[in-house]
Amino acid sequence: MAYQAEISRKNPGCFLFLVDQSESMEDPFAGGNGKKKAEELATILNKLIHNLSIRCAKSDSIYDYFHVGVLGYSEDSCKSALGGELSGRSLVPISELAGKPLRIEERTKQSDDGAGGVMEQTVKFPVWFDPYGKGGTPMCAALKDATKIVATWCQEHPQGFPPIVINITDGEATDGDLVAAARPLTAVSGEDGSALLFNIHLSSTAGPSIELPGDASKLPDQHAKALFDASSTLTPFMVARATELGLPAAENSRGFIFNAQPLHVIHFLDIGTRPANVRLR
Amino acid sequence: MNHATAANECDIKAFCCPKSGNSAEEYEDAWAQRQTRTPAGIRVAVVDGATESSFAKLWAALLAQSYVRSELAGAEFFARLQPARRLWRQRLAGRPLPWFASEKAEQGAFAAFLGVQIDAHNNRWTALAVGDCCLMQVDDVGKRMRVLKAFPLEKSSQFTMSPYLIGSRSNGEPPHERIQISKGSLRDGDMLLLATDAVAAWLLKQHENGRPLWKWLYRKLGTPESFAAMVAYGRKHGLRNDDFTLVRVIHHDSPVAAKER
Repeated sequence: MAYQAEISRKNPGCFLFLVDQSESMEDPFAGGNGKKKAEELATILNKLIHNLSIRCAKSDSIYDYFHVGVLGYSEDSCKSALGGELSGRSLVPISELAGKPLRIEERTKQSDDGAGGVMEQTVKFPVWFDPYGKGGTPMCAALKDATKIVATWCQEHPQGFPPIVINITDGEATDGDLVAAARPLTAVSGEDGSALLFNIHLSSTAGPSIELPGDASKLPDQHAKALFDASSTLTPFMVARATELGLPAAENSRGFIFNAQPLHVIHFLDIGTRPANVRLR
Repeated sequence: MNHATAANECDIKAFCCPKSGNSAEEYEDAWAQRQTRTPAGIRVAVVDGATESSFAKLWAALLAQSYVRSELAGAEFFARLQPARRLWRQRLAGRPLPWFASEKAEQGAFAAFLGVQIDAHNNRWTALAVGDCCLMQVDDVGKRMRVLKAFPLEKSSQFTMSPYLIGSRSNGEPPHERIQISKGSLRDGDMLLLATDAVAAWLLKQHENGRPLWKWLYRKLGTPESFAAMVAYGRKHGLRNDDFTLVRVIHHDSPVAAKER
């Protein structure tokens, strides 16, 4: 049975995020309190890398259960969106990622003061990834680069859990046929199954979202249908996790959300980065 | 790793090993045993530190020691864990930790717990559990050894990936419904096995499938090598990769009986 491999330091998981950095990402995010999509997405991704680091933290070190990459696509090219010492790197072990953020900001959060009130607490907020938005949407180029990266990964980790690629976009590919570009990526496979490609379409308007559809019948246009066609089916464990989070997931659900608002993105990334019901070791 | 002791009328041997692929330092279970005066007997604890949490090995050891040094055998034991929690915090305090380690430590360490008080003179036991460490009582009567009790889980299918665990940062007791207590009597030659979840689930599964290992555990398990051989066999037959801890207690109802055996 596919998608059962244990995540371990010997066989780590691979998460690759493809991030739309086209000009339209500078528009406001529906449900984002006036924030731009690029800004909100940067915060969500930084928080995700933060959470993955915490999940892998063990006493005073980090176990490399995951390798993570972020590719940004904008104008006419695709490149690693990680900066600083990690600039240009495609996949980075989580311990190295945790140790080399661009900077560590201090942010305040409200928490329970234990006496029925609320207190402000200063927390460290590492930043790996800054918002950016310019030019077109070369999504096919990003999928092509991602295919090379996951193919190398599968050669090096043939027994590991298949790589998970999560594409986050607010628009349509401006450089070709998205479905055709996705096919080679999801054809890359190891002993535990094929690489998984999930898509999140970000909303600029407050229209209804379509979450984890099993078919394309309710999708409004051909671009949404293309994203659906390019998306892999969720694994059984992901379906279970989605159900726990209150999302309408079924056995045939694709890893796709159309018209996603920030909370959808957070939930979807939670689902997409929990490969299987295994204990990290 | 292996320890052997004889205390009062109980022969106790403990066996443990880390997950395959991990070093001995990365083993995060703990066990402890101590003779008691009231009642005269012995206490044994087996604790499974949660891999997903940080500094779980320290927390598991503190929990095991807290139990064997306590006189409390019921739910009230969990209301008296402040010293263990304070010790856990003190051991971390002042330690320079990177941002991810200090944030993870803020969440606390977690562990599943099983403690057994054996009243050797009255031939009784009392077990206390939170989570999925398991006690199995097997008798030595007749050709086939019988399972008299499996506690708090009775079947291999009852083990899940998310048992309730005791936290090092929590305040107060676990919810009442999470605390399991059981009592039983002992006859001469009875074997008590205290095990962390993976090995307990596997032993119960072997039993359910008509391939029980009780007799082998009773008569053959004695050295680290024999335990390693069991683990190697298990890994080929459905034993999940995890830290393993198994404490075997064989009860003799009198020193005379013990000598005769």
